[in-house]
Amino acid sequence: MISRKKGTYPYIAVLFLLGLLAPLVLREYHVYMLTEIIIFALYAVSYNLLLGYAGLLSFGHAMFFGTGAFTVAVSLIHIPALPVWGAILIAILATTLVGFVTGGFLLRHKGAYFALLTLAFNALFYAVATKWSSVTGGDDGLSVTRPDIHLGFTTINTAGIVNFYYVTLVVIGAAIVFCWYLTRTAMGQTVLLMRENEERMKFLGYDTNISRLILFTFTGAVAGLAGAFYTLQFQFVSISAISVEMTTAALLMAFVGGTGTFWGPILGAFVYIILQSYLSDLTDRWPLFMGLIFVFMVLVIPGGLSQIIQRIQGLFSGKGSSESSSGPETEEVSP
Amino acid sequence: MNEIFVFFLHGLAYAGLLFLVSAGLTMIFGMMNVLNFAHAAMYMLGAYFSYTVLRVTGHFWLSLVLCPVILFIIGALVERFLMRRVHIHGHLHELLLTFGLAYIITEIVKWVWGNYPLAVNLEGFLAQSINIFGILYPVYRIFIFFCAVLVGLSMALILYKTRLGVTLRASVNDGEMVEALGINVPLVLTGVFAFGTALSGFAGVIAGPLLSTYPGMAQEILVDAFVVIVVGGFGSLGGAVVASLLIGELQSFGVLLFPKLSLALVYLLMAIVLIVKPSGLFGEKQ
Repeated sequence: MISRKKGTYPYIAVLFLLGLLAPLVLREYHVYMLTEIIIFALYAVSYNLLLGYAGLLSFGHAMFFGTGAFTVAVSLIHIPALPVWGAILIAILATTLVGFVTGGFLLRHKGAYFALLTLAFNALFYAVATKWSSVTGGDDGLSVTRPDIHLGFTTINTAGIVNFYYVTLVVIGAAIVFCWYLTRTAMGQTVLLMRENEERMKFLGYDTNISRLILFTFTGAVAGLAGAFYTLQFQFVSISAISVEMTTAALLMAFVGGTGTFWGPILGAFVYIILQSYLSDLTDRWPLFMGLIFVFMVLVIPGGLSQIIQRIQGLFSGKGSSESSSGPETEEVSP
Repeated sequence: MNEIFVFFLHGLAYAGLLFLVSAGLTMIFGMMNVLNFAHAAMYMLGAYFSYTVLRVTGHFWLSLVLCPVILFIIGALVERFLMRRVHIHGHLHELLLTFGLAYIITEIVKWVWGNYPLAVNLEGFLAQSINIFGILYPVYRIFIFFCAVLVGLSMALILYKTRLGVTLRASVNDGEMVEALGINVPLVLTGVFAFGTALSGFAGVIAGPLLSTYPGMAQEILVDAFVVIVVGGFGSLGGAVVASLLIGELQSFGVLLFPKLSLALVYLLMAIVLIVKPSGLFGEKQ
């Protein structure tokens, strides 16, 4: 359902501009929330590259998110005078390595087998993080101070949330656009076609295993970047960053927004964070309502919110509901 | 020497519990190709229902019969009114549905029974200890092991020696053909799911007095049960037996020998099995 129209760049530019202007009108609390949304949007996007594009249902994405989050905290604490970029780079390298090694094991299986194994691997990472308390702080977590960012010609003081928001917007925004760009490249298309007909792709001479491993490693590194920013934003990381709940969050965001599109999970992250924030103000039972919403969506709107949006677009363009999304210029990406 | 024997018996008891949980899971997976994430939540429901039945009536045996029946009904309803609706969207949606259900059940349990551990105390014969080769050992842990053996044997008998078992296995291999012979395959699948759910409820009742009853119990056993399925081989009952024993003993002796590593040992075993034989010990090649 991703349209191949060239017109996406203006939309990205408008979104970015809105993001730049947002702190001028929003209160600090909302800027804080928006920062979180952007970080989780990247996390959800990386998750959806696995679920929506490669058709791999993973329950272990938090091991990348958590590894990234912890690596940043640990390197900022133990390496004196390490610049933020250095810490983020170390986090990305660490998650790339984790993605490559675990991918080697996990990708031997498909479908439900793969889902089950990722859950077990996530549990292993969680167990290690809990037990290895001398490094990870165990149940207490780690506190870090967000260092200032030196750009050479100027220094950004990130103590205030607005400055950090802009850093997040630029870096994470660029990462999201890069992910989007990747789905347009030959690599992205290979993954997509692999999901549809792996035998044929093999026959055409593609090494599908390598492609899948590259994608898996890449999504791991991207989730690690999101995790790194998560630590920087909250100036704190605990084992909850590596828990199954953190994987669940990505799954819910991607699914609520719609796994069939690239931008759906970003919408999902937006809805999820806001819903979570307001529901938790209203009731202590908010996870129950999140669960009910999720089951309702699985039963009634399997395509997520983007499905609704596309229906509405279809109504207005007068093409009818579901047909509007399957023209010659578009491709189905629903798993 | 005595200590080792005690730990061996502890391992057997946990292996029994693990088998009771993973047998239903592997059966649902093997027959319906659905990885039921709600399975452990159903197990937790069994434990909580049993707690309530015990509080009200005080009869452990009653809860051991009653709770699986309740869970059977719940399982049948879930399959008939929820699972079947998303079946057309494929296995991914079925999996997501069970996942959402697990989420909801856990939250409801926290709501109704509170977010703290509840102790289940036994009375009478099961609460006593008996003398095995000069060691006083709790009857209840031995009882768990015998329950598992009994369930395992009856499942094997039903699956491989009865007409019902033939029908079940045939429905998996060629549902259309079985349907053509006049057998209601959707009803068979509902039955399989309901039976698997009842089995997890049974395991929950058994687990109550051994471990305490608390909202995290589902996730804890779920991961272990998943490891059992991976190590034993997907959908294989025999594999579940062997893997439960391996993991039960590994957990038990891990606590004794490497207390710091005990959690990771299980995953280490899983990793080794995956490297040597990716389809699991008794799994068929995919």
